[in-house]
Amino acid sequence: MADLLPPLTAAQVDDKTKVDEKVDYSNLPSPVPYEELHREAFMSLKADNFEGLRFDFTKALNQKFSLSHSVMMGPTEVPSQSAETIKIPTAHYEFGANYFEPKLMLIGRVMTDGRLNARLKADLTDKLIVKANAQITNEPHLSHAMFNFDYMGSDYRAQLQLGNSALIGATYIQSVTNRLSLGGEVFWAGVPRKSGIGYAARYESDKMVATAQVASTGAVVMNYVQKISEKVSLATDFMFNYFSRDVTASVGYDYILRQSRVRGKIDSNGVASALVEERLSMGLNFLLSAELDHKKKDYKFGFGLTVG
Amino acid sequence: MAAKGPLKLKFKAKAKGSKGGSNSTSSSSSSVSSKFEVIKDWTNWSLKKAKVATHYGLIPLIIIIGMNSDPKPDLFQLLSPF
Repeated sequence: MADLLPPLTAAQVDDKTKVDEKVDYSNLPSPVPYEELHREAFMSLKADNFEGLRFDFTKALNQKFSLSHSVMMGPTEVPSQSAETIKIPTAHYEFGANYFEPKLMLIGRVMTDGRLNARLKADLTDKLIVKANAQITNEPHLSHAMFNFDYMGSDYRAQLQLGNSALIGATYIQSVTNRLSLGGEVFWAGVPRKSGIGYAARYESDKMVATAQVASTGAVVMNYVQKISEKVSLATDFMFNYFSRDVTASVGYDYILRQSRVRGKIDSNGVASALVEERLSMGLNFLLSAELDHKKKDYKFGFGLTVG
Repeated sequence: MAAKGPLKLKFKAKAKGSKGGSNSTSSSSSSVSSKFEVIKDWTNWSLKKAKVATHYGLIPLIIIIGMNSDPKPDLFQLLSPF
């Protein structure tokens, strides 16, 4: 479903100073939003692998308004007590309506079992953006909603998040030089009475991006992406939790070719995965996904077609 | 259905009893807390109604907004599969 949405992010900053020019500290570019800190790394390392059949049809009625029909058939995992994963074959149909305008974006998706997934993004003023994300189900107490208010300053961004069941969070990120930005976040969750604080740093140049993030929940994430050429980029990632002593390292690649896009990664948990998106003709994309988990002996293969 | 009758009465009696209890202690100090109770109940009620309204009304709302944007699409284009 990520393919149906246009990128929400602003384009990468074009004005890169040459090495011998002085850095103008009063005119720094706006940093990347805090939740997109790891954007380049996650494009190759957290690709959208799926299992089963996927068919998406998007019908544009005019430039701003479109409807989407989506069919998914395949085994879905059910959480179980034992170490074995239990998969139950399911099939569902999802109907969606999207409305895109420069200042307002509304996306709604409803499934055959009554679940509604809604997203809203509105530019209230030049600098203030409100975003909302909600998942509503028929079962009581399983719905959740989250509202974000983003303020974009000249070289900083601040965000306030409010979620249901008393979740409050705030993030702040500031451009320190043309290439380095530092940020932090704080959150407080009411239901499991937890609060946390985290810090992040991102260093980018036109050929590479390196980010690091530490949080008081014990998670440390570091990643590095090198753009080898216009078509190829390689990424590597290291995740470590200092409370539970879980470590995961992964290496991935992303080839953007003329007619297709191939992304793959291999993990220290023994997981190798790949996703191929091939453009068969204008508006028709063919998807192939494979994920092999050798440690848990779980092999997932999927294929799909995206129209429009 | 017959069992529901006495249950309903019990519930009403309990609610009345608790309300009466809180009212009896609502002297100067507890009037503020009962106001909070009222506000909490009112926000819960309005959130529940907002959730139901969103659940049923969001997709029709998006469709109405989309059908009134320009260039105005046909009803036939909305319903046909191609």
